[in-house]
Amino acid sequence: MKEGFRQAMAWLHTWTGLLFGWLLFAIFLTGTLSYFKEEITHWMQPEISRHAASPQAALEAAQRYLQRQAPASQSWFIRLPNEREAGVKVGYRDANGGPRGFVTQTLDAKTGEPVTARDSRGGEFFYRFHFQLQMPYPYGRWLSTFCALIMLLGLVTGIITHKKLFKEFFTFRPGKGQRSWLDGHNAIGVLVLPFHLMISYSSLVLFMYLVMPAGLMAHYGDDTSKYFNDLFGGGEAPKAAQVAAPLAPLPGLYAQVQALQPGARVGNIRVENPGDSNARVTFTQSAADHVAYRRSANWTFDGATGALLEQGKPESGAMLTAFSFAGLHMGNFAGPWLRWLYFCFGLAGTAVIGTGLVMWLDKRQLKHAKAPRVPRELRLVEVLNIVSMSGLLLAVASFFWANRLLPVALEARADWEVNAFFITWGLALAHAIARSGRRAWGEQLALGALAFMLLPLLNALTTAHGLDHAIIDGDWSMAGFDLTALGCGVFLAWLASKKLRPAVASAKLSRSRASQVGHETAQAR
Amino acid sequence: MFGIALIAFAGFAALCLAMPKHFETLLGRTPGPGQPQLLRVTGWLMLLVSLALAVQSRGWAHGLVEWTAVVMAGVTLWVFALPYLPRLLVGMAAVSALLGPLLVLSAG
Repeated sequence: MKEGFRQAMAWLHTWTGLLFGWLLFAIFLTGTLSYFKEEITHWMQPEISRHAASPQAALEAAQRYLQRQAPASQSWFIRLPNEREAGVKVGYRDANGGPRGFVTQTLDAKTGEPVTARDSRGGEFFYRFHFQLQMPYPYGRWLSTFCALIMLLGLVTGIITHKKLFKEFFTFRPGKGQRSWLDGHNAIGVLVLPFHLMISYSSLVLFMYLVMPAGLMAHYGDDTSKYFNDLFGGGEAPKAAQVAAPLAPLPGLYAQVQALQPGARVGNIRVENPGDSNARVTFTQSAADHVAYRRSANWTFDGATGALLEQGKPESGAMLTAFSFAGLHMGNFAGPWLRWLYFCFGLAGTAVIGTGLVMWLDKRQLKHAKAPRVPRELRLVEVLNIVSMSGLLLAVASFFWANRLLPVALEARADWEVNAFFITWGLALAHAIARSGRRAWGEQLALGALAFMLLPLLNALTTAHGLDHAIIDGDWSMAGFDLTALGCGVFLAWLASKKLRPAVASAKLSRSRASQVGHETAQAR
Repeated sequence: MFGIALIAFAGFAALCLAMPKHFETLLGRTPGPGQPQLLRVTGWLMLLVSLALAVQSRGWAHGLVEWTAVVMAGVTLWVFALPYLPRLLVGMAAVSALLGPLLVLSAG
């Protein structure tokens, strides 16, 4: 009975892992990149430079700019520069301008003047892709949340399937073919398990209002915004009174926030009805200030008189639990070293999925090693494995290359960067179909290695922010990007060299591997 | 936090050596009577102490998160580097066991 249960779990692990593994690999890889969202954006928009500016000065500049550009707008948004974001971001509603009636602009933190940076989505593209999968709302979110559920299922069934969890806790035996792959898969899965469990469970918490909306709909019907206002505070601003009243200086309101919560870093600032007697200003505390993602930590002022009207209520236990999971997932609170660990654990999750996919195929290909042709379904899995892994890496690399090579004046430039990503992914598919499995792997990995290794050179040639300059300037997010690309390229080159080894050596290897696996199955019997 | 990470790293190394199989491959001899037991107790104790220190110095929220992160990173490094650089890692564990507490003490 017990063996029957374990076998059933192994079956579930194997097949859900295969069906959702390709998509999960992409979700994990882009999610991992999102931990460096701001740093990637900084690399992709090098025109925005970093200055040590006080929040008050930045806020004053933002108010000056918005008063000049959008005095009649119904609402303004301001985001102050911080350790990771260099510029002051402002936005305002304008029925006649910008996509969807919303205009955004970045201001220089020192001069307060608008910066013309190249049009690019930056790290935001990976972040959005990670949970929206380039699909219309809400389907992408549904699918990615379902994938998270499958990941959680994969972890639990994987633990049940793994027979010698504690006996082999510290075991990794390299250079032994399938045995090594399984060791690696198990070890990364088990050793980083707290992260894997947290990340997949918290995804479900993040989108619980989408995937389990029954309770919400029973109380609020379709008016979900009322639900969020009740939850997070800072509800709807009153209608404009159409009585002109100058907006209180925002730096003064900022000082009030500092008096209420000394040392608080401010994330977003929203101004409703600026210049009206019914103006409202809401400051939201930066997500970097707490481990829990406390969206209710905010202060609302009367924009005309400067009086504090409302501040975030203390959270209930249930809310704080949900906020903690959200905060742990996004890691906004993490400083540099913890952020790097987050990045490494994200790569570990990606590697668990990748090794699983490779093993599924390897095991079955071995059975057909002597057959003249591989069965069609195995060939399909092989192509999808190649496209979803090395193809995706090529797509990521071309996204960065497009950022440096597309002309700055190009119409819809940011969209073309995204197009470059998907076109490359499509070409990788065609290439994987045209070539044999081993060749396709090797060639795509080698090309990826080249693309990533040359990124620092490309950066140095096309901008004034190459490694030499960035290191001297102490611009570590710029230099870190280049160095990470270099490291990634070296890793891919190592993988490619394994795949492109002369056929004789690999044949010998697969023979010894076959005999060893035969030995193991005999043992298992 | 680095000192705390070193203590946790040494703790996991001790737990690994507490398994006779790993003790033999790493140190080239069979463990003496009672040695695995001693290593196991020491290892768990170091993990507990590092956890307590993390919570004490960084508070519950950051302490728990950072401790979990450094523990996972340390043990992953240990397991994947072990087949390639066994001597270096055992040496690192020994150094960590000494340096970790010193760093924590000097940080006050």
